[in-house]
Amino acid sequence: MTIDNLQNNLYKEGFVTELESETFPAGLDETVVEKLSKIKNEPEWLLKFRLKAFKRWKEMSEPQWSELDYNPVDYQALSYHSAPKKFDKDEIPPEIFETFEKLGVPLHERDALLGLDTEKPKPDNLIPTVAVDAVFDSVSVATTFKAELEKHGIVFCSISEAVQEHPELVRKYLGSVVPYTDNYFATLNSAVFSDGTFCYIPKGVRCPMELNTYFRINARNTGQFERTLIIADEDSYVSYLEGCTAPAYDENTLHAAVVELVTHDNAEIKYSTVQNWYPGDENGIGGVYNFVTKRAKCEGKNSKVSWTQVETGSAVTWKYPSCILKGEGSIGEFYSVAVTKGKQQADTGTKMIHLGKNTKSTIISKGISFGDSTNTYRGSVKINPGASDASNFTKCDSLMLQDSRALTIPYITSLNDSAKVEHEASAGKISEEQMYYLATRGFDEDDAMNLVVNGFCKDVFQKLPLEFAAEANKLLSVTLEGAVG
Amino acid sequence: MLKLKNYSVENVLENIDIEFDTGKTYVIMGPNGVGKSTLIHSIMGRPDLEVSGDLTFMGSDISELPVDQRARLGMYVAFQAPTSIPGLSNFQMIKQALNLKGSELAEHLAKFRDTTEKFNLPKDWDKRNVNTDASGGEKKKNELIQLSLLNKKLAMLDEPDSGLDVDGVKSLVSFLNEWRTQHNTLIVVTHYDRLIYDLNPDAVIVLKKDGVDIGDTDLARRIFSNGFDNV
Repeated sequence: MTIDNLQNNLYKEGFVTELESETFPAGLDETVVEKLSKIKNEPEWLLKFRLKAFKRWKEMSEPQWSELDYNPVDYQALSYHSAPKKFDKDEIPPEIFETFEKLGVPLHERDALLGLDTEKPKPDNLIPTVAVDAVFDSVSVATTFKAELEKHGIVFCSISEAVQEHPELVRKYLGSVVPYTDNYFATLNSAVFSDGTFCYIPKGVRCPMELNTYFRINARNTGQFERTLIIADEDSYVSYLEGCTAPAYDENTLHAAVVELVTHDNAEIKYSTVQNWYPGDENGIGGVYNFVTKRAKCEGKNSKVSWTQVETGSAVTWKYPSCILKGEGSIGEFYSVAVTKGKQQADTGTKMIHLGKNTKSTIISKGISFGDSTNTYRGSVKINPGASDASNFTKCDSLMLQDSRALTIPYITSLNDSAKVEHEASAGKISEEQMYYLATRGFDEDDAMNLVVNGFCKDVFQKLPLEFAAEANKLLSVTLEGAVG
Repeated sequence: MLKLKNYSVENVLENIDIEFDTGKTYVIMGPNGVGKSTLIHSIMGRPDLEVSGDLTFMGSDISELPVDQRARLGMYVAFQAPTSIPGLSNFQMIKQALNLKGSELAEHLAKFRDTTEKFNLPKDWDKRNVNTDASGGEKKKNELIQLSLLNKKLAMLDEPDSGLDVDGVKSLVSFLNEWRTQHNTLIVVTHYDRLIYDLNPDAVIVLKKDGVDIGDTDLARRIFSNGFDNV
């Protein structure tokens, strides 16, 4: 039976699914890490990886440099594993189906889920455009269209499964872009990562459908530590999107994910995120702490990675999807719309590290802030000595309403004279003039605001896969509702 | 259609009485700074203007209504200096305003393109962002294109001719002749004599510092010969 959480009417996804789950007791030490690895039946090398990371984590301390102000996380008060009980991938509890249906995730391709699709003839006009991997709390619930994708040699499954079925690939690439020593949260993640998406696109293959992972945190007082790894081999292409929601609990929930992307020669990965974690109530109680490390390594020549994100949720956000532009001629792009309201705080941006010649990066960041929130763009463009003829274009625009704060903190380091770096920034409010003009055309305040803000975000929304541009627009509208006056 | 009685706009206009009838065309003239723009924006309901007195539109008192509701009742104002809305395309704005779907969408887009052509605007005008990357004249034409697509009963145009070249003015006149019918009302603020004669208004309203004069095109002629003070 599902219960609608009444704490925050405005956050639609705030409902809770009552489900029997198998949850570790709170606390974190070596035995918890070992237990986690054992429950997943992991090989020795992976357990070693986790333990090395855990040992390192104990020596580290939480970073203090950001503009963020939040209640400290009590790492011993969290549980590091929660999976719905009686869980066998072949027998998915109906409550989970209900949850995802309620969330609008297209999980009801029943045939595909039950593994019956390969035999059944499909009508010609039913070309799947989206394959979904659903992760409920720490466990991947279902992955649709796996069989279809396998025909192309594409691997799209949960990381737990990849460890079993494709251990060589995981071992080769895990930690190759974000080493376990990278930062406090990545190190913690390396020790206790739960599940996530693994994707491998073979040489020359253009993935025929959008790949989509939908994350949902349900259990209280758990940390969610996903690990995603996507590898695009030479001349391949994939477009991937992740969506996230969580219920409206009073306590803070920690989400410390790590995403690693690797592109070989001429390959391209398009990675989009629509994030709507519970933001906390108007007094700043509760809400998800979203501390994520996302990084791409453009290993190959002329390879490309685009990060597109629409962030509207979470109480505190700390993330810098980045690109290491190693291959000659490789391209990194970052398009972001980050909205904060109430007591939300966001410190987000990107790092573009130019190592190879002729590498190019584009950064377009749109920050919208309301109420008491703080919205910080922190970006770094680093041009190494070997990166001749590298170029970067950065545009950061802030839109502030009421008494919110917006900060722009760009770091630019160029160690090569032939490189070109351009930076544009603007900050402003929604002008009364624009609101009046739209009113004379018959738009009420909410609609007028929507139009102005959507126009403001257009450059970024245009980069989202078509299917999700509409979802992002809708999410933005809902987020803006009642934001005026 | 529209009735102003004992109508005042603080610091600008005092105790005006004017009636605008359905099916008629009115021209508003007056020296620079006297309050012509202010008058029409106050009728539209611009929030920063302090208004007192009676304001009736199609028989109802609209003095308490917000701007967007007045617009939805059928009131329109063409701005003297139209506001830019980056990221919002011209046609998208019309689409949202009229909530167009399905076949209506195609019909309106066709009409939009048709009107755009008549005004000699670029073919991709529907995709251009509202009043952004457009010349002064293009922005003024844009105001008229919107009028042609939105269903309006009262159009108040603030110096629609300013910024238009000679062909533009011809298009303007031709457009207005097509737009006006027995069922709507046109009010044009202008300084331009040719436009006034071409429009052949039913009445000419002259706003002066100390009041309002109402006459016909002869009044306009005399002003053009002798100036505002000698009339």
